[in-house]
Amino acid sequence: MNLIRIALRYIRNEILVLPTRVIAILFVIGLLVLPLLTQDMYILRILAIAAIFAIYAASWDLLSGFVGQVSFGHALFFGVAAYTTALLNLRFGISPILTIPIGALASVLVGLLVGIPCLRLKGPYLGLATLAFPIMLMGIIFIFPGFFGGELGISGITRLAAARLNEYYIAVVFMLILCFVMWKITDSKVGIIFHAIREDEIAVRASGINTIKYKLFAFCLSGFFAGLAGGLYTHFLRIAGPSMLAVLMSFQAIIWTIFGGVATIYGAVTGVFILFPTLEILRTFSDYRMLIFALIVLLVLRLMPQGITVFVRDKLERECPRCKVRNVFTRKECRVCYSSMK
Amino acid sequence: MKGKYYLLLTLVATLVLLLGLVGCTPAADDTAPPVNGEEEEPGPEFDGEIKIAVTGPMTNIQGEMMWWGATMAMEEINEAGGVAVGDEKYSIRLIQVETDEIMDPLGAVSAVENVIVSEDPDFLIGGFRTEAVTPYTDLVARDYQKIFLICGAATNELLQGRVDEDYETWKYLFRVTPIRSTDLVRVTMLMLHEVAMAVREELGIAAPKVAILAEALEWNEALVQGAPAVYFPQLGLEHVGTFRPSATASDVTTELRGIEASGAHIIYTIMSGPVGIPFGKQWGELEIPACPVGINVEAQKSGYFPATDGFGDYDYTLNTFALNANITDQTIPFMTKFMDKYGQVPNYNADTYTAVYLLKEAVERAGTMDTDAVIVEMEKTDRVGPAGRIVFDEIHDVIWGPGYVTAVGIQWQEGDLVACWPYEWRPDPQNAPDLVVGFDGVVPYQIPPHVLRQWRGE
Amino acid sequence: MLLSDILVYGLMNGAVYAMLAIGFSLIFGSARIINLAHTAFFMLASYAVFYFGSNLGLSPFLSIPVSIILVVLIGVFVYYVFMEPIREHETAVLIVTVAIALVFQEAVLIIFGGHYRGVSSIISGYISPFGIRISYQYLLTLGVVSLALLTVWLLLMKTRLGIAIRSSAQDREVANLMGMNVARIAAATMAISVALAAVAGVMVAPLYTLEPHMWLNPLVLVLAIVILGGLGSVKGSFIGAMILAFIEVTVVFLLPGGAFLKVAIALAIMLVILIVRPEGLFGVYLEGER
Repeated sequence: MNLIRIALRYIRNEILVLPTRVIAILFVIGLLVLPLLTQDMYILRILAIAAIFAIYAASWDLLSGFVGQVSFGHALFFGVAAYTTALLNLRFGISPILTIPIGALASVLVGLLVGIPCLRLKGPYLGLATLAFPIMLMGIIFIFPGFFGGELGISGITRLAAARLNEYYIAVVFMLILCFVMWKITDSKVGIIFHAIREDEIAVRASGINTIKYKLFAFCLSGFFAGLAGGLYTHFLRIAGPSMLAVLMSFQAIIWTIFGGVATIYGAVTGVFILFPTLEILRTFSDYRMLIFALIVLLVLRLMPQGITVFVRDKLERECPRCKVRNVFTRKECRVCYSSMK
Repeated sequence: MKGKYYLLLTLVATLVLLLGLVGCTPAADDTAPPVNGEEEEPGPEFDGEIKIAVTGPMTNIQGEMMWWGATMAMEEINEAGGVAVGDEKYSIRLIQVETDEIMDPLGAVSAVENVIVSEDPDFLIGGFRTEAVTPYTDLVARDYQKIFLICGAATNELLQGRVDEDYETWKYLFRVTPIRSTDLVRVTMLMLHEVAMAVREELGIAAPKVAILAEALEWNEALVQGAPAVYFPQLGLEHVGTFRPSATASDVTTELRGIEASGAHIIYTIMSGPVGIPFGKQWGELEIPACPVGINVEAQKSGYFPATDGFGDYDYTLNTFALNANITDQTIPFMTKFMDKYGQVPNYNADTYTAVYLLKEAVERAGTMDTDAVIVEMEKTDRVGPAGRIVFDEIHDVIWGPGYVTAVGIQWQEGDLVACWPYEWRPDPQNAPDLVVGFDGVVPYQIPPHVLRQWRGE
Repeated sequence: MLLSDILVYGLMNGAVYAMLAIGFSLIFGSARIINLAHTAFFMLASYAVFYFGSNLGLSPFLSIPVSIILVVLIGVFVYYVFMEPIREHETAVLIVTVAIALVFQEAVLIIFGGHYRGVSSIISGYISPFGIRISYQYLLTLGVVSLALLTVWLLLMKTRLGIAIRSSAQDREVANLMGMNVARIAAATMAISVALAAVAGVMVAPLYTLEPHMWLNPLVLVLAIVILGGLGSVKGSFIGAMILAFIEVTVVFLLPGGAFLKVAIALAIMLVILIVRPEGLFGVYLEGER
């Protein structure tokens, strides 16, 4: 009884007071109860893929948005995990419960391999250098077509779960947990160091913090989450193909995240859940699909260059000038310290 | 303030543009596929309709060809009274599925599932890029148990290793066009032999040298390894080098220079991608003294000649149909009608035409739309179509060989696409010396004039 | 024999790459914009010359300048409307340029279809100096490209605008403090940059195959070149272009069976150089910025 009261009080005082939190909670509940309303296979597929891509985009945000290590080759992590997962499953018959984590560990390893040579690179140099890695890996895949399947990819993989509904819940629950974990990481002490490295790496080093260690950690962490996404995607689609390493795949993560709002994690999730289904809805326009999509991205970013979530958040909420707590834009005084919101 | 004004202006302009585009959509559709299948309402004389989804990259030529071929068959069948299912008459309705599979192969699966869920088609045909067709045939067979006729991907493994190993799961898949890639290889070897004979006779070279120019893709891997090791010695040819540009390369002058330096008389080409065009153009413009033969998918299209600025003349490639080759009685009427309607020479994807007929006849024989019954009838298929006599083997692949589908070799000769193979082909000289295959209208292969000139001049 | 082949083909490819890379480098230097739509302008110019030349049948002397001017106008318009106002949001600009490239690609796809197109050479035929066949169009391209590069070099070195562009590339803030209109300089740079891409586009249109996705492959190369040479450095871009072109050509001649690896190998060498020199060969170190 007491517990319920505490929970209710928490909901009233911490969630209902802020519209963005209400939206977030509604979104989570909506995703979880959606199968009660519709069991349409196509809708479940699109949302499941969107959930997987949300993990992928958020992992990019973790590395590039927070730590400032802008990667143009994020598909590397996704692709390495996808291929590892697929090969383990096909060649050794290992079940998805094991292949997906092993795939993610392979991505961590790759994160280290990429991170170490890239430690000295900064800004655009880093971004454009990372672009090279997936392209080189694609070259390797085409050198050993017998092993990696060349452009056909590796197919005949076990599916994620027996039924689409289970697959949907696996993807969505994974997404909710992993994105929450990523969000918490960025909120922790490590997250503050990540922020600081992005803002001024020299100052961080001057404070006696080993930035190299943290940067490598960020590469591994991001690789891990992107790898989980890659493994889930492979088992969902039952194929690992070279297009998972294509330049487009890397850029998609960037487009989604920046569209949603960079360095927020929830921005990446929002970006994917808006843009990915939009692209599907636009199938009705067949030939004009990509054009309309590109125009939407172009216009939204022209009007809200900081990303859609940040734009909406700043419209709906204001930060208290004194205690830095967020308030609904309608409030005249802060909900915590009662100082004026002017 | 000024910034806001600009912003508003842009916004309005873009909205207008968007609306304009949306408004234009049906008009644009009218110009591309002249008869849009979705506008065809089942007439009062029909008792129902058979829905066939055509899946392909509809913005690209491959998808257009699939759509046009299928549309032609649909119109013919509906005009002739539709499909007799038991006592009832059904019309055929086609549903266009833009899979965008060339750009986004994995996203294509979503497009296919979308159409299955929203339209519930009875059958599906199409499929072009293997990386996309593999997962979506998987989806269609395993999750939805619908019949899918592959009309564009040649990879053996789409059927081999599937239908033979787990019949119950994969029995829904058939391949109508093209012939599987190992058979494509056999045909190109026969064409290569023909070119080698011409080189021997006209240039007086006993053991012609061959350079391989193959795009770097997996489907031709076995070929690139196997041809010089197995086939070239049999044909008395000397292998002088293998060049592997990317399938999307826009410049192959360096590779051509390497081929020229190797002293090759023949270039054995294996190209399905856009690289075929720069190859033809640069080969012709630089007058590289070697005869191209093999597969160049771009050279199968009417647009090849203008796209290479006429320099691609005398390229020799495998194809499914040819304008001058009377493969069956249907070939030339089909091609003439197709060209009248759409202004393009049909390529192998356009044999969705036959695929629609196969479905019609299988349904009529089964007398029901029940999938399992239709599969049984599909397996009994024996139908003469524009590309030859279509019979399926035990893995649901179309059978290649004399008397079945053979494919043809076509050469550009002074701006015309003409068939040059099979020209007096003896498939089995040992056991059946009298068996000579050749279609009416096939003309002999010609060595490109500049090649002739250069080797004779030296 | 082999050496002369590598020299001739390396130089020819390098010249075209240099054209594209220098334009990209200029706009990065002046406005700090990573313009991923850069090669899309190259694609637009190729299609423009196809449209005016092959569809409308204009003579090359008319269709080429018209195409270049048209593409430059589009470039400047796009810069003013979409890039300039949100320049401070670097990541947003990046994605805006991707979106612009996609818009161009899709517009071309809708207007011209996904067919592969070819443009006639201005002069057809070939010459064979040291036994190497070179088409006249290639020679012409080499000539025009050299001329364009020389013009840009003179412009950058000798004119007031050039000095302004170079100084804003070195340090935007200080250039602004010295009373230069940095925004206008950036717009002028954008025009020059797009013009370079357009000239490359119209010249190589007869050599390459036109298709709406033709901007993607050169983009990767351009990015590699610019990084290799050092961002914002014109000299670096030129040398980087030559290095990558020679690597590519050498790979094809020495490893014909692995010709498709030429891009991957070129990228690997770029990475090795970057690890040794993190700011590229001639890059300006951007330590103080941001």
